[in-house]
Amino acid sequence: MKFEQFLLRILESKRNRWIVIGLVLLALMGSVMMIPTKLVLAKMLPGKSANTFSIYIDTATNASIKEIREVAQCVVQELKKEPEVTDMETFLGQGAPLDYAGLVKGSAFKRFQNQAEIVVNLTDKKYRDEPSFMMVHRIRPRIQRTCGSLYPNTTIKFIEMPSGPPTLATIVVEVYAKDDKMLRKTAQRVAQILGETEGLVDIDIMLDDIYTTYMLSPNKEKIIRSGLSVDQVNKIIYLGFKGMPVAVKNTKDQQDQVPIFVRLNDDSRIVTGESKAALEKKLSALRLMNQRGMMVPLIEVVDIKKRSSSPTIFRKDLKNLAIITAECDMVSQVYPLLDAREKMLEMMQDEYNMSKVPGISTFMFDLNAVDKKTDEPVLIRWAGEMKVSLDTFRDLGGAFIAALILMFLLMVVYYKSFALSGIVLAGSFLSIIGVIVGHWITDKISLAFADVNFFLTATSLIGFISLMGISARGSLLLIDFSRSLMQDEGMEKNHAIARSTATRAKPILMTAVAIILGSLLLSTDPIFGGLGIALIFGSIAATLVALFFIPVLMSNAKAMDPHIEESLCHDDSEEEKKSGRICVLTDNIKEMLFPPKECNDDDNEPLRHQDLVTKFTDILKNLLRQIKESLQKWRKK
Amino acid sequence: MPREEDPQIEVSGGAVMVAMPGATPKEILNVIVKPLERRIREIKGVEHVYGTAMNNFGIVNVQYFIGEERESSNLKLYDKVMQNMDQLPKGTMPPLVKPFDIDIDIPILTAAFYQLPNAKIDTVKLYKTIRELQQEINALDNVSKTTLKGVKRPQFNLLVDIGKLAAYHISLGQVAHAIKSISTNAPMIDTENNTGKLVVFGVENAIDTIDDLKELIIAEYMGSPIYLKNIADVEYSYDIQNYQTALIDYQMGMSTEPEKIKKNEHRKREGKEELKKEVSFRPESEQITMTVSKLKGTNAVLIAEEAIEKIQEAKEELRHAGVGFIITRNYGVRADEAVNELVHHLEITIFIIMLILIPFLGLRESLVVTIAVSMILATTLFIAQLTGQTINRITLFAFLLSLGLIVDDAIIVIENIHRRLHLDIDKKSVDEIIVQATDEIGPSTNIATIAIILTMVPMAFVGGMMGQFMKPIPLNVPVGLAVSLFVAYVFAPYLARKFINFKKIKKEVLAHHAKAHEEKETNGEEKA
Repeated sequence: MKFEQFLLRILESKRNRWIVIGLVLLALMGSVMMIPTKLVLAKMLPGKSANTFSIYIDTATNASIKEIREVAQCVVQELKKEPEVTDMETFLGQGAPLDYAGLVKGSAFKRFQNQAEIVVNLTDKKYRDEPSFMMVHRIRPRIQRTCGSLYPNTTIKFIEMPSGPPTLATIVVEVYAKDDKMLRKTAQRVAQILGETEGLVDIDIMLDDIYTTYMLSPNKEKIIRSGLSVDQVNKIIYLGFKGMPVAVKNTKDQQDQVPIFVRLNDDSRIVTGESKAALEKKLSALRLMNQRGMMVPLIEVVDIKKRSSSPTIFRKDLKNLAIITAECDMVSQVYPLLDAREKMLEMMQDEYNMSKVPGISTFMFDLNAVDKKTDEPVLIRWAGEMKVSLDTFRDLGGAFIAALILMFLLMVVYYKSFALSGIVLAGSFLSIIGVIVGHWITDKISLAFADVNFFLTATSLIGFISLMGISARGSLLLIDFSRSLMQDEGMEKNHAIARSTATRAKPILMTAVAIILGSLLLSTDPIFGGLGIALIFGSIAATLVALFFIPVLMSNAKAMDPHIEESLCHDDSEEEKKSGRICVLTDNIKEMLFPPKECNDDDNEPLRHQDLVTKFTDILKNLLRQIKESLQKWRKK
Repeated sequence: MPREEDPQIEVSGGAVMVAMPGATPKEILNVIVKPLERRIREIKGVEHVYGTAMNNFGIVNVQYFIGEERESSNLKLYDKVMQNMDQLPKGTMPPLVKPFDIDIDIPILTAAFYQLPNAKIDTVKLYKTIRELQQEINALDNVSKTTLKGVKRPQFNLLVDIGKLAAYHISLGQVAHAIKSISTNAPMIDTENNTGKLVVFGVENAIDTIDDLKELIIAEYMGSPIYLKNIADVEYSYDIQNYQTALIDYQMGMSTEPEKIKKNEHRKREGKEELKKEVSFRPESEQITMTVSKLKGTNAVLIAEEAIEKIQEAKEELRHAGVGFIITRNYGVRADEAVNELVHHLEITIFIIMLILIPFLGLRESLVVTIAVSMILATTLFIAQLTGQTINRITLFAFLLSLGLIVDDAIIVIENIHRRLHLDIDKKSVDEIIVQATDEIGPSTNIATIAIILTMVPMAFVGGMMGQFMKPIPLNVPVGLAVSLFVAYVFAPYLARKFINFKKIKKEVLAHHAKAHEEKETNGEEKA
């Protein structure tokens, strides 16, 4: 066979063997280098086209429902220009019905006048050319420009259906500081830097705005003198301006009670303008009845004071913080994050002493800032999808290492040789070349056809982990076959390797083809595309590795050599095997569970050290046997 | 098996709300939030504690590690708060413990009900109509919760004119007091009459209709009674103080033929490829959105279908009342589509693999592999069902992923049988060859499959959302692999024995040998 001859040529010449090894190492280096050089982009999970997306609107903390209604209507008007929009539901002062994204974005907790959500339903994606994320990408700047400027401090965020587990936002920066002012200042600075970073959109600081409020402070003396009480004053103001149900009426034919709600009518209630005088005017009309049945104007007993509002304090895990969120516009979150981090290190140097958090952990991107004037420490922490990604990659990496170790142990138990186990592992690890190169190729293809980046995602990593097992199978079969060829038929090592590789090439190719075809449809999926690509290109690489590189390694390994001692001590059992039993399978399991204790090959038998006593007796037995044999020989002579 | 689109992620947590009227955020922080946070931190399994201190009240949100059991988490939180009730500062209202699961069930179906154009129905009437329908849907099996959003509840509104109040010398407090005193509900009184029979009588709530309210005497001024209607606008409408509103904008035709619009059919023009650019929308109107959630582990597809059916049944009635509706979310259909698509993918993939194997192995052998693969998938699905999993995108991806792995075992066994048959059929019996062929690749296949299972197992320990999300992969792939090993050793050789045409192979091999023999002889002769 041609392939066999070809392989033999490689195996027989030392130079050719080194060429193969060199090529493989080069490929490995090259492909691994693709990640830091950003030829292959990493991302947690890619976007997926959906039939719906949401828009979250937040206006200033002291904005009324009317203002947000205006903003929402503006957004809706803009969206009506889109023919693919079928219907829109606007929810003012509350969250939309909960969905996967809203679950962690606090949609269920929205209850204030400055919050609104719009659910936008689109036509079926099968009948629509533009994917939803492209549409959002296109309309986002337009809507933010026209509607975001209606009122100050308005943020309009576009929320797409997450393709995987949802997070608060793609990029979340948590700023921790003790002092409120410091927190505010730093948060604004961070938000500003994020805003300047390319690829980041929908930047929002989750902090209350500070605005002017009016406090009515009761004048104690006047209240007591006029026979009123502070409680009464409070209640009447509340009843008059905000209103409350004073009683309820049960109804026979309805499921609810009907409340009776009392409030001043709009003419008497609504303050014209924002000045203190206007408020005074309204309050002056309101009168209270004292204990003596006399009417006392409210304005007589209270003083109106101007004051700035006290903003809400947010805390996480017992520390005060401010949260800044941002979304990535069709790019992986990793690179804008690193950009922004660099910028922060540079630009915030004027007011703060910036330093990186030392050590490698999933918080490794965090920054420490110390104010130059007050020496107050501020911690800038990256949370959000980045943290989840790092956690996931860490866990998956851990899973990967655990898988490697488990596999190695298994191989060692099976082969009783470190070298052979190493070969199998190396073979399976090298499929990473295919995985990375495959992503690069797919990225280029998808950029050329759909103008969308294809990212290395968490699912690619899953694919890679499962690939290890698959490619291990190829190497395993090769090693087993060559060994049996050498042992049973006494072939020469390189010949045996070449022959077995040629024989096993067919099933190896077949299984690879099966995996490739099986994953072909997988690769078109937005989430599991990475897994598909990893499996396809990974198994191509694994096949090449199994057909060329593994034989070379096998030929280099001493452990492959048939063991003379082994054949010696196996002598009697071998006979038995051939004649009596055909089931190597059960024997094999038996052997795995109760490894045979005899045989001492000097090169590599790590596991058998366990039983030193048996080993010692074995040696003794062997010695005795040899002595016996030599004695017999000597006698014959 | 129950179908879903995404696997359900168990998120447990809750919020503790404590109100302290009149306190500033700083006060709330020190008096309520800080001590509460510390106490809650003591609970095992809590990942994050989020404190929020606002004017008048403080909230502490608790987030457990993902995967913590919901019931016990809720209980622990409630328990912790109750244990420390005595440490609550003065002036606070009793704390409200609200577990997440009330808010956190993701509805699988939402429908917006709105007033049809040129129909006259007020928001209150709309509410009443929908409320009836909600009752019916809630009665469906496996529906866990239904809610209404954008609801305007009926209410008597008394909007007092401050000028008139001043003119009649009445205070606002008097008005409130007058209403409160007249509208009380009392239980019926039962007593005996002189003949020993039971007499039941009761005091009726004096306010029954809006006129009763209007005619309510608040005070007397200059000897004449002042009715409520004199100083206030009295109306029976909706709760005006509730600013939570829901609106809807929809394309024309969405209420009658939503399918057509979703498929972009209405934009098609005769004879032209391009779609129409303009579409017309109905003017904005108020709506009520009904949400329907399902119980955990139940079939989203069926529940959504049943609920829609119920709504459709009421369609005529609704139209009569001037109410139209649009299904604004249907995860049932999405789940069904996703699952069907993936099942379709599975079928195609199996078929392609079968086709590919034909040139390598022959038709019958590839058929054996296909049957083996179907058996493996069926068994794995059965095991998944026994363990109470739902079928969702991720489960199916686990199957697609394992497909590439599980065909391997069968392929390798069949290939070896095939190879061996062609090698030794003239020397040994068929049974012996099959057993030996299976046996020969046994050890390495065992080890390889165990290796793959081992690589999958650590994935089950990935934490966080992502770990929960992809849990079906480490759950199902190892099972599939173990099954595949079993099938490859037990059924594949058996099927091979039943299906493969041995006579043909024997003939071929013998012919081949004879030919080789002949050639040898002719070669020999030539040489000779």
